[in-house]
Amino acid sequence: MSEAEAISATEQPSIADFARTFRRIQAEIHKVIIGHEQAVEELLSALFAGGHVLIEGVPGTGKTTLVKTLGLALNLSFNRIQFTVDLMPADITGTRVIMSSIEGRREFSFQPGPVFCHILLGDEINRATPKTQSALLEAMAELQVTVGGVTYPLTPPYFVMATLNPIEMEGTYPLPEAQLDRFLFKVRLSYPGEDEMVRIIGSTTGPEEAGVQPVFAADEASAQIETLKHLVREVMVAPPLQQYAARMVRATQPENSRILGDLHAPVHVDAVNRYVSFGSSPRGAQALIMGGKIRALLDGRANLSYDDLEQVAPAALEHRIMLNYAAHSDGVDAARVVEQVLKAVRQTRT
Amino acid sequence: MAEIRRDEQKLWLILFQIRGVRVRLNSLALQHWIFSTMAFMTGGAALIFGAALMLGPLAFLSATAVIVLFGLAGIIRETRAALRQRVNPLKAAAIADDRGALKGRLTTVLTLAQTPRLSPLWSYLVEDTYSLRNDFEPARIEPRWVSRSIFALLGACLAAALLIPFARMHRAPGVQAGGSGEAGQIVADIGNLEVRPADPALEPNAEVYADPETLRKLEDKLAGAQNQDNDKSELGRWMNKARNLAGGLQNQLTGEKAANHPPVRLKLTDRNPGTDKGGTPSRAQSGKGRDETGKPLANSQGGGGNSSSAHSSQPPVASIPGQQADQLAQNQGTSPQAPGSDTAQPGQGDLQNLFDGGSGGGGSSHGSGSDPRNLFGQASSQPLGSDNFKITIEAEPSDESSTPGAPTYVPPKVRVPLNSNQYPDEPLARAAVPAADQMTIKRVFER
Repeated sequence: MSEAEAISATEQPSIADFARTFRRIQAEIHKVIIGHEQAVEELLSALFAGGHVLIEGVPGTGKTTLVKTLGLALNLSFNRIQFTVDLMPADITGTRVIMSSIEGRREFSFQPGPVFCHILLGDEINRATPKTQSALLEAMAELQVTVGGVTYPLTPPYFVMATLNPIEMEGTYPLPEAQLDRFLFKVRLSYPGEDEMVRIIGSTTGPEEAGVQPVFAADEASAQIETLKHLVREVMVAPPLQQYAARMVRATQPENSRILGDLHAPVHVDAVNRYVSFGSSPRGAQALIMGGKIRALLDGRANLSYDDLEQVAPAALEHRIMLNYAAHSDGVDAARVVEQVLKAVRQTRT
Repeated sequence: MAEIRRDEQKLWLILFQIRGVRVRLNSLALQHWIFSTMAFMTGGAALIFGAALMLGPLAFLSATAVIVLFGLAGIIRETRAALRQRVNPLKAAAIADDRGALKGRLTTVLTLAQTPRLSPLWSYLVEDTYSLRNDFEPARIEPRWVSRSIFALLGACLAAALLIPFARMHRAPGVQAGGSGEAGQIVADIGNLEVRPADPALEPNAEVYADPETLRKLEDKLAGAQNQDNDKSELGRWMNKARNLAGGLQNQLTGEKAANHPPVRLKLTDRNPGTDKGGTPSRAQSGKGRDETGKPLANSQGGGGNSSSAHSSQPPVASIPGQQADQLAQNQGTSPQAPGSDTAQPGQGDLQNLFDGGSGGGGSSHGSGSDPRNLFGQASSQPLGSDNFKITIEAEPSDESSTPGAPTYVPPKVRVPLNSNQYPDEPLARAAVPAADQMTIKRVFER
């Protein structure tokens, strides 16, 4: 990749620039990651939307490899935390330690934790205790870390990718709702198909490893990514589409919810009332809009459409819906609920 | 600056095209409402007209109510549908977005055109949308100029055109009786005759004639039926009013007047002479015979001198031979009236009327003790058979019953065969008596 082809951080990129850069990052990642096209697109969408991603997949599906490859392609600083049950919050955020100066004076000095980077991989985040998991909350939401009463800002772009192993539930701690809500998208990685498996074998067992070329220059990567993120926010959204996103989120909330009170959802969805204990928060609507904007830019448009919202709805809403016991006993998952919500809300388009 | 003006021109063209889409969609919605409403009205009118021709009054009234209700419901439904189809600019843009696969461009342009702070991507959006202007031309978004509802209107017109002649061909018997050109004649046995109050909705167009005794029994039956009718409840009166209303409506719709219908002539016979099933005193004999509406029976037995005047223009309906007339006279003589009474009892004839062609030589004038001075008169053009009685009642053959649930009455077609000693009734012409014979005849009567 030629760095000269990268967009300049000083000038306003065009929609075509955004789409081209996005496709190039995708192409670099797919040099290593075989398949998972949708997962990669959602991952990059979350990056440019300024959000974080929760990656759920069984072992061996390339979760860690995907994140590492992304870091290489973006040419950003990258840290990895392997979450274990004995991991402490200070192991993530950093801590103040007593340091001896050259003069022999002893003073507290802040030692930054692995959270201080551009791209953070929290591997198997559900193996840590909720207290440790919550150590990421401030960093993810506010791009800052407070230790010992002192707040330390993080350098944008800041992108957290956490992985979950859905089958090894022994000794794990489900993420609290507040933590889940801070992830813009939840990306599912499934096992590859036979053809993809053959390609994976070919690319990983040979003498040569696929090399990933960074898309951005190291000193301009942050600025260029921030410029592209700013462009995403300029995509125009008509009021009816904002209303559509809000209606979609409201439709995920059961009518008898204590949170909702006397308010009634504008769209009645049987599956929601029967299987959902808590629906999506307003962050879900934000995720819909931001994810939709990315899709609009990739489609060469400066405006959001209904289809954009519906395409990002599963990734934006599924992990925000808390199912009840009836859903578990009936084998209903959040994907099916979101599907029903989309079906119902689609009837109310303007 | 020039670029901004170009953007504004493109924006104006985009908005103008959205307005064109809206006008076309609203035009179709208006057409839909007009055509569907007219279709309902045309179809409903045709059905009501057909019902007026084919159904009896009550059935017609019920059918009309149902048709009107359905029609109103349909019109309201179509009005609401048309209101829903009516589009504002935002909806027109959304429809154009959807049909033109523009992915929300028009909606965004329309809603954000008046926004004070526009995105740096606004020019891109306008240019992008303008480049796709062929995709949202009104003719492309909605190719139709005329609403499909016109087919419903045409269908309703076609159905009406087919239904009305069909209904005319299959008219209800009750309605058809008055419409035929020839007057029908039915011979009915009074024993089998079901007598009931006339349907007020029907115009009187049936004439009943029979011998005096049979007519007396008929009048008794009518009186009984009248009493039963008077005993009817409030519901019955409302039913009569409904029938009256429905009959009037039917006549107005079909444009037919029952008064113009030739009367149905019903000849009554009595197979069991001498038996009086009614048991009620004959009002005809008392001269106070009235029809059920309270009007005097025009040609009742006790009608006296005006028995033939009301129908003087009618052809003679029957005559009886002299022997039969004598028999009738005997029957009359057995009536409660005192023979030879000079009191002006209605229905008591005068001997003068025997040869008097003037007013009403009714059967009751055959009583003994009449003044022979009235025996002779001028030959007149009095209809033959005027010595019989003719009564017009407000009734007409109908397949409906006045009483709900009562068996349907069909007038019996009774024609009693004559035995070898009997001859069919022949009209006997009234003639002037020669002067030479007048004295002889007078002496016979005086004796």
